[in-house]
Parts: sequence; structure tokens; C-alpha cells
Amino acid sequence: MKGGLWGQALLLIALALLPAIGQAVYYGERAPWQAQPVTSDEVDLAQAQAWDDSVMWLDARPDAQFQQEHIPGAILLNEDRWNELLGPMLAAWAPDKHVVVYCSSLSCGASHDVARRLRDEARLSNVYVLRGGWETWQAAKK
Amino acid sequence: MNARHVQSPITNAGGGAGTSGGSWRFILAFLVGAVFIYAGALKAWDPVKFASDIQNFHLLSWPLGMRLAFYLPWLEIVCGLALIVGWLRTGAAGILTALLVVFIAATIAARMRGIDLDCGCFGKATKDLPFAWHLAIDFALLAALLGAWFSFHSAARRSR
Repeated sequence: MKGGLWGQALLLIALALLPAIGQAVYYGERAPWQAQPVTSDEVDLAQAQAWDDSVMWLDARPDAQFQQEHIPGAILLNEDRWNELLGPMLAAWAPDKHVVVYCSSLSCGASHDVARRLRDEARLSNVYVLRGGWETWQAAKK
Repeated sequence: MNARHVQSPITNAGGGAGTSGGSWRFILAFLVGAVFIYAGALKAWDPVKFASDIQNFHLLSWPLGMRLAFYLPWLEIVCGLALIVGWLRTGAAGILTALLVVFIAATIAARMRGIDLDCGCFGKATKDLPFAWHLAIDFALLAALLGAWFSFHSAARRSR
């Protein structure tokens, strides 16, 4: 097929619109078009701190970041060493605990992944994600 | 008919499939195309998750990111397919190169602003990779794309 770069590019851009529009129509109102959905498992720092002694902090960041600094009393549980770390975490867990998982910041996804696995694989309830993660904790300290 | 002039549907940008240049172009186009089809399919499977990944860059509003999340994966898939089947290859390589350059620039900018990104570009396969490895993969892909682009362009010029 002959045709300049721009002609070909425009044709491809138009072609890609067809399945995209089809998928968007299929999703319809089920897609959150106007605002990012707030996940129901997130808690802010004030809420987590209000749980006081019943909160169990879980650090989902990589080992090196945990070793450098973490929330006092936090237990390391990341996906890099999930099988190794899950046992000690469960040993420290109790049914009355509010488990709050955090990772680096608002943008990271590790805390959500760890929280989901705790619910799905370890069958824990009361598992939450700290909104804003470690960044929020650090900012609150200042 | 001279074998050199037999046009393969795969290597229609010039150079027969039997030539070493044609084979090299086909392998390069196939590999790069497959990578983008895979990456696009992962994102098209869950556009809302991809919209969240776009939002992580803190560059676009949610409504715009959401609409892009429905479109960009299909653009990647269509361009990846175009690379493999050899139709509109120059345009496909140009679009994918532009997308990748924008993505690399946005990634570096986000990193410089201290944003801890979870781009979700290749699903769980690259989720735990360090930032440097992400960049290395992106630049390798960019080099392959540029190589493919120049190769198609020069082959097309020779065939005229």
C-alpha cells in the first residue's frame, strides 16, 4: 500500500476509532466517564489513626524501602516475597485487627494488590488501603 | 519473473521475502508488532484500570484519560497488526514511535516530580521491575521501532 506517512497514519487513527467506539458503547454508563471511582477499601490517615491499637500496619513496599524507614510497628508484606512474609504476618494478625496496607504514594498499586490478595487468598476481612500511602504519613509528620 | 520482484503480502514495503533484508524486516516487524498487540490487548481488556494508570501520571483530567483509555489500546493493536501484515507499515511505525516517545517523556517527567508510577504497561510481567529496567525496555522498543521505520521507508523508496 502506497501513501505517505501522514496519510497512512490518519487511516490507522481512524481505523482504531471503530473498535474503541464499539467498546465504549458496550461499556456505556458502567464506565466512570466523569470522575475516578473511589475504591471502597481506602481509608485516610485520620481514620486509620482513630483505630488506635486495633490497627495493624502492613508495608507493601520493596524490602529496601521498608528497611530504610517505615511506620512504627508496621509489618513487611510485599509481593516480592509473598510466600515467605505471609506466615509471620498471619501469626501477628487477630480477628479484631483493622489491617491497613500502604505503599509509597497515591500512585502506587502495590497496596491495593496486597490488600486484594489478603482478602482473596488469606480470607481476611477488615483489610484497608491507606490513601496516599507512605507519602501521606511522611507529610503528616512534618 | 525475477524473484526479486515477487511481492510478499508480508513484506510489501519492498524487498522480497526471500531476501535477507526482507526476512530481517519481517522478523523485526513481527516482534515489535506482537509486543504492541500484547500490550494493547492487556489494556483493552480493562480500560478502567488503564484509565487509573493514565491518571497516575497526573497529566490529564480523568474524563480525558478515560476516553484515551478506550482508544489508545486499540490504536496499539491496530498498528501492531499493521506492522505484522505489512499494510500501512510506515504509518504504523510512525504512530507507535510517537506514542512511545510521549510515553517515555511522561514517565521521565513523572519520575522527576517524584511520582511512584505503576504504569501497568505489560500487566504483571513488568510490574515489579525497577524504573531503570522499565526505561531500558522502552528505549530498546524505541530503537527497534526506529529501525523498522527506517527499514520500511528505505525499502519503499527502493521499490519506487
